[in-house]
Amino acid sequence: MAQEIWWASPSFWRKSAIWVTGLSFVILIFLTFDTVKQITAGSPRVPAYSVINKRIDYVFNTERNFQVPVIGQDEPLFGKMLTEEEAEALVSHGKLTTQAKNCMNCHTLLGNGSYYAPDLTKSWLDPSWGSKEAREQGMVDFLMNPQDRLHNALGRKMPNLGITEDEAKATVAFLKWMSSIDTNGFPANFKPIDQADAPVAAAPATAEPAPEVSAAPAQQ
Amino acid sequence: MIEPVAMANFFTVFFSAAMVIMTGALYALLFAYSRIKHAPRLMSLAYLAYLGLFTSVMTLANAANLFHNTFWTVIVGLMLLGYLLAPHAIWHLCIGTHADEHPADDAQPAKLFQQS
Amino acid sequence: MSALGILTNANLNGGQKLAVKYFTVAIALFGAQVLFGLLAGIQYLNPDFLFGILDFSVNRMLHINAMVVWLLFGFIGSVYWLLEDESGVPVAGLALGNLIFWIFTLAVVVVVLVYLLVQVGPGELKSIWLINEGREYIEAPRWADIGIVVCVLAFFYNVAATFMKGKFTGIAGVLVLDLIALAGLYLAGMYYTPNISMDQHWWWWVIHLWVEATWEVLVGCLMAYGLIKTMGVRRKIVETWLYIEVALMFGSGILGLGHHYFWIGTPEYWFTIGGFFSALEPIPLVAMVVHAVFDAGHHKLKSTNNPALAWIIAQAFGNFFGAGVWGFMHTLPQINLYTHGTQWTASHGHLAFFGAYATMVIAFLYIALQKWRGGVYMSSNLAGAWKWKWAIFLLHLGMIAMVMGLLIAGYEQSQIERAIEGSTWMGYFTAQAHPWFVQGMFWRQIGGWVFAAGFVLLAWDLMTIGKRETRPALVHSEAEGT
Repeated sequence: MAQEIWWASPSFWRKSAIWVTGLSFVILIFLTFDTVKQITAGSPRVPAYSVINKRIDYVFNTERNFQVPVIGQDEPLFGKMLTEEEAEALVSHGKLTTQAKNCMNCHTLLGNGSYYAPDLTKSWLDPSWGSKEAREQGMVDFLMNPQDRLHNALGRKMPNLGITEDEAKATVAFLKWMSSIDTNGFPANFKPIDQADAPVAAAPATAEPAPEVSAAPAQQ
Repeated sequence: MIEPVAMANFFTVFFSAAMVIMTGALYALLFAYSRIKHAPRLMSLAYLAYLGLFTSVMTLANAANLFHNTFWTVIVGLMLLGYLLAPHAIWHLCIGTHADEHPADDAQPAKLFQQS
Repeated sequence: MSALGILTNANLNGGQKLAVKYFTVAIALFGAQVLFGLLAGIQYLNPDFLFGILDFSVNRMLHINAMVVWLLFGFIGSVYWLLEDESGVPVAGLALGNLIFWIFTLAVVVVVLVYLLVQVGPGELKSIWLINEGREYIEAPRWADIGIVVCVLAFFYNVAATFMKGKFTGIAGVLVLDLIALAGLYLAGMYYTPNISMDQHWWWWVIHLWVEATWEVLVGCLMAYGLIKTMGVRRKIVETWLYIEVALMFGSGILGLGHHYFWIGTPEYWFTIGGFFSALEPIPLVAMVVHAVFDAGHHKLKSTNNPALAWIIAQAFGNFFGAGVWGFMHTLPQINLYTHGTQWTASHGHLAFFGAYATMVIAFLYIALQKWRGGVYMSSNLAGAWKWKWAIFLLHLGMIAMVMGLLIAGYEQSQIERAIEGSTWMGYFTAQAHPWFVQGMFWRQIGGWVFAAGFVLLAWDLMTIGKRETRPALVHSEAEGT
């Protein structure tokens, strides 16, 4: 056998493989500790579940150079202020509903999932709900009876998944909470629904044909 | 930290990124071929491919606004240098790992497909 | 020992008898993947098709789950295939392995039936345990998760115990460690949290670290074995290169996890990590190209199994374009902001999964069939060779059509839905109605049909190749040049 060059020997590369793998993994573990801390609910990036008691907006931040969620004044969901525990239970019920109804195999959440239906990351803030007043009930109605709402010229629509009223409300809570997550500006250039306080009793003149069925996202 | 790509530059980004991989592979291919065939003329073609790689990386960096930030500028520098040197390093590794190879050593060739 | 060209288990060792069972189920599930992919594709063109009966979500779930499971069955089968040969001893605990195969297969059937017949459940933990976990790729209900871990552990026992008893080669070492990682990582996907950021953070551990790390290394092990056995390359060289590959794959792959952590609530420093490791992505490809040219120049390769060699070459190209070119095109966060969650991802996913993994498993199926038929001739001038050649052509043609269709759709989506409209529902549907999108989906469906035709031909060829062939396989010790 010819002499072996150390940097081309199996033993050198076996050790290298082990060290590279080990080192990468250790770095990953350290980063994971930090990341998990930063994405635990109740942190600046991922707010506590009781954030659903507040107004949530999505506003351009010049310092960070992208849109960030902004938590505003009290604006309780379905008119009811919840404690942290109640809020968590409600959001959790909503999250379970999104899993049990397999939402992710049509929609994307935070951009992950399937591409047959719109992204839900900021669906709480979507202008298609018409007005901020009609939004909550509109979302519930839509979730419970989506099958005859044609939202587009394509004819694509959401099937009836047997979502109960409680599940629908919980899902709305989950979606509202999700819209408060700091996603580093994803989605970009999003135009949130107008949430400014309208003068009392002013008619929603700008809203699209939005009577009782206002929830159906914009007809095309 | 990042400055998103302007919409006018989408195509440039996709195309130049694809070209980074394509020219990178072409450079590696011509480089290795030139060495194995002892054909120095191919080596100039290999460096021509690297020139293409260089151009692609710079185009990508410009279109993706990478030079607006120190970190991403450093990444671009590392890419240019790393892609230039990688085929050389791998080539040495090939020579090194195959150094003691000669046919008599092939004591354990395939038996798998032989009917026993 | 039996006559050439006859398909019989007498030609196989114990592990290989089990392997061919896994391969059979794998091919059936590949068929299921194609079928449900076609159904889901039709729904893009005609949303009323099976609406309310088999909705897109169900078809799509079955499409991607069938893929994960058939590749997994293919890998497990391949490992059982090489186990006795590599270790030099019979498989330890083969009876357990056989039992586990039947349990695993039964569990897959039950899960599929529940997906098809029950589909969704109420928003309670019970649904996640019994019906569907609702998390992309790992939808299997929790009971099945536990079952999968038990099966993988039993499989791991077979592999580790066999190598302990026999020769513990370099390939064995990498394989055993890789399987520990494979089983361990799956646990990261097995818990419930209301926090979607946390959910997706751990979900990526399973998806990314499986697909872009442990699966790649597993394929590296299979390839290493294949090179030694079918090309007669020396073990020491192959194992050194396996280690080099592990260093490159894990070195760039583990922290490459960063490129999935841009937009899910995780901190901004992942931009840096994702960007850096994205820049490293081409290095393993360059290594592959240089080494392949080097090898080709040194060994006068003469193939003993043409279809397997063709699929291995397809793997090299598929991996290069699918993972390399298609991955790099949209990996930087500066552009990924607009491509994330569009058909771009689908385009990349189709090409990369097919190119890097499906091709490898198919190559292994041909290697297995050759021996299953008693070491039959599979080189040039094979009777009926048009079948495997046309199968490979149609599968690739179909795949390229699908990938290009999705690419054009995704490109349009990234501009209109994402950049201009800012991803509102209205923006989404505006982009979905755009002619580029609609036509992209139309061509994707055509590609799907072509792919399906290729699959049928492939299945037919796998059943018949080498039948009535009387020449024995070429053997490398005499075929080898130099």
